[in-house]
Amino acid sequence: MAELDVRKPLPAITTEAKPFWDAAAQQKLMIQRCHDCNAWVWTPRPSCNECGSEKIEWTQMSGKGEVYSFTVIRQVVGRAASKSFEPDIPYVIAWVDLAEGPRLITNIVGCPVDEVKLGMKVAVQFEQASEKVWLPKFKPA
Amino acid sequence: MFRLKHFGSTMSITNKAAIVGIGDTPTDRLGSKPGEPRKSSAEYLSWALHLALEDAGLTLKDFQGQGLGVTIPTAYPQPFWPEEVSEILGITPGFLLGGATGGAGAVSLLGGMSAAINSGFIDLALVIGAAAPFSEHWGGGIQPGDMRDWEIPYGTMGPNSKIAMVMRRHMHQYGTTLDHLGKVAVAARYHASLNPLGYLRKPITVDDYKNSRLVADPVRLLDCVMPANGGKAYILASPERAKTLRKKPIYLKGFGERSNPSYGPRAGSDALIMGVKDAGRVAMEMAGVKHRDINFLELYDDYVIVVYLQIEDLGFCEKGDLKFFENTDFTFKGQLPIQTGGGIINCGQPSTAGGVHHILEGVRQLRGEGGERQVPNPKIGLISGLGVLPYGKNLGCCAVAILGNEV
Repeated sequence: MAELDVRKPLPAITTEAKPFWDAAAQQKLMIQRCHDCNAWVWTPRPSCNECGSEKIEWTQMSGKGEVYSFTVIRQVVGRAASKSFEPDIPYVIAWVDLAEGPRLITNIVGCPVDEVKLGMKVAVQFEQASEKVWLPKFKPA
Repeated sequence: MFRLKHFGSTMSITNKAAIVGIGDTPTDRLGSKPGEPRKSSAEYLSWALHLALEDAGLTLKDFQGQGLGVTIPTAYPQPFWPEEVSEILGITPGFLLGGATGGAGAVSLLGGMSAAINSGFIDLALVIGAAAPFSEHWGGGIQPGDMRDWEIPYGTMGPNSKIAMVMRRHMHQYGTTLDHLGKVAVAARYHASLNPLGYLRKPITVDDYKNSRLVADPVRLLDCVMPANGGKAYILASPERAKTLRKKPIYLKGFGERSNPSYGPRAGSDALIMGVKDAGRVAMEMAGVKHRDINFLELYDDYVIVVYLQIEDLGFCEKGDLKFFENTDFTFKGQLPIQTGGGIINCGQPSTAGGVHHILEGVRQLRGEGGERQVPNPKIGLISGLGVLPYGKNLGCCAVAILGNEV
């Protein structure tokens, strides 16, 4: 495994998101779903954003999706933490719509940036960012 | 009784408050080079205040016990900023509001203060904002929230990354080209060239737009708002009070606001539809105006694509109607004048105070103070404010105001 880049900004493992990160470390992509109205709830919330129910359940996703849109980062700008991404340039930031519905901000990896297209089918792949954090990224399916 | 469809608002505030004074400092980028003289945001605040007082013929004393609304700059970590502004200016407000909606704050405060005036709680209000992002370094770390936990770890580079995805999706879904978008950019710059308060004043062509540097593919340099130092203010009064003042009152005819709008499921909203769709409809219903009654649009412009989307979502054309953009003259002489002062893309964005620009330009046009860029005899103008780019969707705070120069 490549050495972890300790300078990169990490997510905080909040109480409502901990099940997500625990599952990600096991290479599973989990999203909350409302038991009462069946809506997907993403990003993690204490209650359903559609109906307000507190009966929400973590549900495993297929890990399949498609690219809704994307951009290629060719220069870093803004906050100091951005600098830590300089070695990765060029890289792709994408909105991926999971087959089940929810939309994720993620990276498309495993192919040249010029080959990324809207509507491209992708599949999840987890990349370790710290001892506890594995980030779900997507590669061509 | 007037009643809005579908949403909670049941009270009209049409003609219950009027803008009676405006203050607009020139913008600059002092402090972007070492050794340059600098001004603090306090200085821009004071400058904007005094311009507005002079315009209205009021004094500082008139504002004691009255309304004070303050836009909250994005990078400023001071949680009591609106109160600090009251200290900087020497005002003891009877009603103090901070703009909670980012770049939409200026328009949100117009609605909030007008409602307070309509209630009789106050009869005068100052709304003010300033920022000096080049002269002052406020820093500010990564704050808790979706951006910290679900965006930045992937290397997102601020709003450019997300707007780039919106723009690419629109081009993919509707066949929108740089020619369509460039037309909007060119019209705004043309107006800035005729505006003494413009900052970027050299006219551009669609080719200049197309050839500008890629910032976040497909977003180019000439797509982006230009950060600047500056201060902006407006004064609101009850209609009775307005009649005693120097300038022709510009009335609030309608107001609507939507924050956290969602079109489709919240976990996967249509990212090409903006909350101005509903905020605009509510504001137009309140004002009792149709599209043909609106003489010009001053749309919040953090990016060219955002102006473009608002024209669609406000209902001036169908979504993806490319012919409309090809056939419409957006200049002050045309069928649908937009960005008649140049917008903040060309006049500069002092953080969230940038949202005040669109109101001030609307007031100038309705007073007939538009100079070389005056829209012929306007009666009604539509102003929008936008703020925040949330995870996975389009702008998160949308406010629309309809202004008019007749009761």
